[in-house]
Amino acid sequence: MAWYRSSGGLWKAALQVAEWAAPQEPAYSVFRGPWRSATVQMLQRAGWASQAAPAAQGEAAAVDPAFDPSRGFVRGGYTVAHFPPARIRNFSIIAHVDHGKSTLADRLLEATGAIAAGGQAQYLDKLQVERERGITVKAQTVSLVYRHSDGADYLLNLIDTPGHVDFSYEVSRSLAACQGALLLVDASQGVQAQTVANFFLAFEQDLAIVPVLNKCDMHSAEPGRVAQQLKDAFDIEPPECLRVSAKTGLGLCAVLPAVVERIPPPVGSPDGDLRMLLFDAYHDEYRGVVCLVEVLDGRVQKGDRITAASSGTNYEVGEVGLLAPEPYPTGELLTGQVGYMLVGMKDTRSARVGDTWHHYRKPVPPLPGFKPAKSMVFAGIFPLSAAGFEQLQAAMERLTLNDASVTVRRENSNALGAGFRCGFLGLLHMDVFRQRLEQEHGASVIVTAPTVPCRVVLPGGEERELQNPAEFPTSTKIAAVWEPTVAATIVTPNDYVGSIMQLCQDRRGDMQEHAVLGAGRTLLKYHLPLAELGGDFYDELKSVSSGYASFDYEEAEYRVADLQRLDILINGEAVDALARIVHRDKAQAVGRRLCTKLRDLMDRQQFEVALQAQAGGRIVARETLKAFRKNVLAKCYGGDVSRKRKLLEKQKEGKKRMRRLGSVDVPQEVFHELMKAGNKS
Amino acid sequence: MASRVVPQHLRALAWHAGAGRFAATQALGVAAASGAPLQQNLHPRLWRALCAAAAEAAAERQSPVEEADEEPTAAYVHLPFCKRKCSYCDFPVIAVGRDLAQAPHVQDNMQRYVEMVVQEIAASRRLNWQPLQSVFFGGGTPSLIPPSLLEQLLVALDRQFGLAAGAEVSIEADPGTFDAARLRAYLGMGVTRVSVGVQALQDELLALCGRAHDVADALRAVEAVHAAGVPSWSLDLMSGLPQLTEEMWGRSLEQALDAGPHHISTYDLQVEEHTPFARRYSPGEAPLPSDESAAAMYRQASAVLRGAGLEHYEVSNFALPGHRCRHNMVYWEGRPFYGLGLGSASYLQGRRFSRPKRLNAYRTWLQGYTADAAAQGPQVAGAWLPRESADDKLLDTVMLRLRLADGLDLCQLAAQHPQGGEAGELLRAALAPHIARGWVIARGGGEGGEREGSAGSSSSTSGGGTADGRGSIEWVRLADPDGFIVSNDIISDCFAALDVTSAGEA
Repeated sequence: MAWYRSSGGLWKAALQVAEWAAPQEPAYSVFRGPWRSATVQMLQRAGWASQAAPAAQGEAAAVDPAFDPSRGFVRGGYTVAHFPPARIRNFSIIAHVDHGKSTLADRLLEATGAIAAGGQAQYLDKLQVERERGITVKAQTVSLVYRHSDGADYLLNLIDTPGHVDFSYEVSRSLAACQGALLLVDASQGVQAQTVANFFLAFEQDLAIVPVLNKCDMHSAEPGRVAQQLKDAFDIEPPECLRVSAKTGLGLCAVLPAVVERIPPPVGSPDGDLRMLLFDAYHDEYRGVVCLVEVLDGRVQKGDRITAASSGTNYEVGEVGLLAPEPYPTGELLTGQVGYMLVGMKDTRSARVGDTWHHYRKPVPPLPGFKPAKSMVFAGIFPLSAAGFEQLQAAMERLTLNDASVTVRRENSNALGAGFRCGFLGLLHMDVFRQRLEQEHGASVIVTAPTVPCRVVLPGGEERELQNPAEFPTSTKIAAVWEPTVAATIVTPNDYVGSIMQLCQDRRGDMQEHAVLGAGRTLLKYHLPLAELGGDFYDELKSVSSGYASFDYEEAEYRVADLQRLDILINGEAVDALARIVHRDKAQAVGRRLCTKLRDLMDRQQFEVALQAQAGGRIVARETLKAFRKNVLAKCYGGDVSRKRKLLEKQKEGKKRMRRLGSVDVPQEVFHELMKAGNKS
Repeated sequence: MASRVVPQHLRALAWHAGAGRFAATQALGVAAASGAPLQQNLHPRLWRALCAAAAEAAAERQSPVEEADEEPTAAYVHLPFCKRKCSYCDFPVIAVGRDLAQAPHVQDNMQRYVEMVVQEIAASRRLNWQPLQSVFFGGGTPSLIPPSLLEQLLVALDRQFGLAAGAEVSIEADPGTFDAARLRAYLGMGVTRVSVGVQALQDELLALCGRAHDVADALRAVEAVHAAGVPSWSLDLMSGLPQLTEEMWGRSLEQALDAGPHHISTYDLQVEEHTPFARRYSPGEAPLPSDESAAAMYRQASAVLRGAGLEHYEVSNFALPGHRCRHNMVYWEGRPFYGLGLGSASYLQGRRFSRPKRLNAYRTWLQGYTADAAAQGPQVAGAWLPRESADDKLLDTVMLRLRLADGLDLCQLAAQHPQGGEAGELLRAALAPHIARGWVIARGGGEGGEREGSAGSSSSTSGGGTADGRGSIEWVRLADPDGFIVSNDIISDCFAALDVTSAGEA
């Protein structure tokens, strides 16, 4: 299962790699220039880059002048046979957002010759949405070659992880293929909520942790205090912390040696039967499904017949290789190695991430596998104009090929016509999906207000899980409503604790823990209804804490809540796409806010329009939209004819963007705007 | 030059041969382009046959419903000089200063400008066979131009396009720029209609608008018009001005009627971008009247002026019988016209073309235009533009006709457009709710009278069913004032309905 890789680009790049492999071709010719070698020399002087000349000491036997670690795996002339398990390290970088993970990854890639210095920043963040938002949503993997001070060459597989709470599932998946992790912490900001969450994810998986304090070049950096925080929070000894600046290169020379020395090699038996972990997969437009695997035992070669343990499906390995960083066929992968594989799979849904693969008819004990991702947020996605449905359908198909974590089913709305009801891992996931639909697939969409999967229990004990507020029964009696909750971790400077507690209380939060984290920081743990995170919680949190509080959450249990369906009525008719589920105490306030917003967003009509909110069978708010009184252009002569035409055409375009709800025209923006409005009272 | 002589001569031949005017012209254009001297070597009768054949071929290339080009009957001449630019104005205007109209350098500028327009006229191809039926001098303030210069323009127009006996020749004139003598001079050279830009009858409002005259000037202007015996004149007012109240507006309307004009225009203020008004005011907010109040003023004008026997023949125009502005009707009926001078728009051979709005740009454009004319013979401005498509023409027709009390003839529309029948159906459907509300008045084929679509009458016709009622509608017009006042909404509904076809077609 894989997400968010721009299809196509990868293999086009792979073709370039093949061209570069020709001996006279300078690699990465685009970036190559005097400055580049100067950069490498600088890095080498710093003892940071891999050195072409073997170090004096160490195992001389491992040193082979025919191979050049400063040029990466491909141009360095390596084969996978150079790297027995003892010379392999599989690791991740885990960090809070903006703590410099992508920059550090870039430096590691440059220093080992995998990419050119000074090339495109954030190499691993390939998607436009990732670069724009400064986040990683899709895990990437890259194999690096590093010549350690012992003189031996090591294959370091960096498995990048997404940096947002919605994608924590993806993080744990990536970590399953690692034996260690770099815990990257901003030396000014210190431990943040995601640092905590990611640390425990790694800790639970028994990974060796290498703490790295980044941005030590900044004036505001306080590496000593942050090291003490790590000691307090995670029992990490301060001397273990590396102090670096990925930006300036300060201290980076210590990072790769620490990876080699502190992270254990994969433990596998090279002579055993093949046992592979499928830890990721993505769809490529030209090549079909690309599977990312770690070979735990044995070896796999091109042409091998393999079986997926979960389904018993057999495949033939069509191509196997390393991501160095572009796909590079090696013909085989050996024990402990991480690489990609093409097995003729067409749909990522067939690739059960977490699955165990083995040779045909040579079954091995399967790995525990991954728990499937669960949709935590649902929303309707509709084409901007009804005529756009087919285009949207095609775009949805292409995008879900690449993101099997989105669940999709057809939906029909009275207001918006044919569309889809989609399930997402979280709100960011939803937003990223929408953005990708629009950016990469050119679809213009309306996304309805997100809703969480509530469970409605009827008096007879029958239970229904709702994916759509419109499914909330209003005519039958309800025994109870259960809603999903989350366990939220918030880390904040002490000054803001009061206002954050107020915010959480407004959001029906339930405090679980209040701990001092040291260095003037507090850790708060709250039980919050997932629905309350919708809309603007994150913005509010940032605003009440001047941007300093950080936030992370994990799924928690369902709890009973007094929830109601809130309908918006336009001229007495309920608009299904605007329905939402709210807490009884908030129904009136939310209803009032939605009606006011609707009144402000809607154009005056030819007649008076009543805007009402209804909850629990009664009207809780009402606004009136007055009719317009005149709509005329007085002067129309001579050259004015074309000008007036343009004006009317513009008005017409406005009308075409309208969705007709009964006899009332509602602009599309209304749906966007009302979606953004959370359930804040 | 042969090429100039041939079409002139042969246009007449083809004309008499009975070929469609446009087709023949086009055929001749082809013939002329392929070798002008050809005709000289041919027997006239053979040449005529050739022309007829070419005309037929050209006619066949046209879609069957598309008419040959109608010939222009009207010319607009833009005279941009004003004493000062009004605060709401976004027309191309050259402000000369309040008391400087007689200054020698201003007179020189006017002289040079008129010379340019005369050059443009001379370089323009005559597309009309009949002499012009109307000329309109608009501005700016055309009455700032000395009569002698105006005469030069009229002479040039007559020389190039012909000016019919009895043609309507209008001139816009602002109070404070003319007296009876000047008007007599205008009348003497063929002007028949004067449009007096009074705009407001309150000094404080005139000052707010940056007008270069006061109420006393306006009253003197009216006296001058009467003294000169102008055979048809219009008094122009503006509603929706800042600080204008419904009560003031009512008095203005009465005063306007007392002035005894044959025609009254009442333009509701439009706050145009990049004008001082746009910086000062926002529509619907004080000191501009509220939407409700502006709507009331519109209704007031309609009631008061119609009550005085004027016909509300266009959204903003009222006229005594026989005094509609013939020239403006050309625009509103979608017929072709010449446009001459700075920023003017022409509609010729199915092409709408606007000249540059800045003097330097216009001068540059004119140089190219006259150079082309010297090299290739007289020009049609904007000839390089694509012809207006049948769809564009359809939308123009709907938009313009619905602004007229004469309304839109759906049968005629069906005949003029390739998909006119379908368009008619879409329009009937789009207008049905407006008919039901009484904003649009429809007339069916069989029934004699108009059907006011109020609630009462719709129940009276409900026996026939709405679908039937809709199908028999042959003609529609906007109700006065309920439909006129929301004309944009109704027309854009029509546009949206017609857009469905083009989208389905694509």
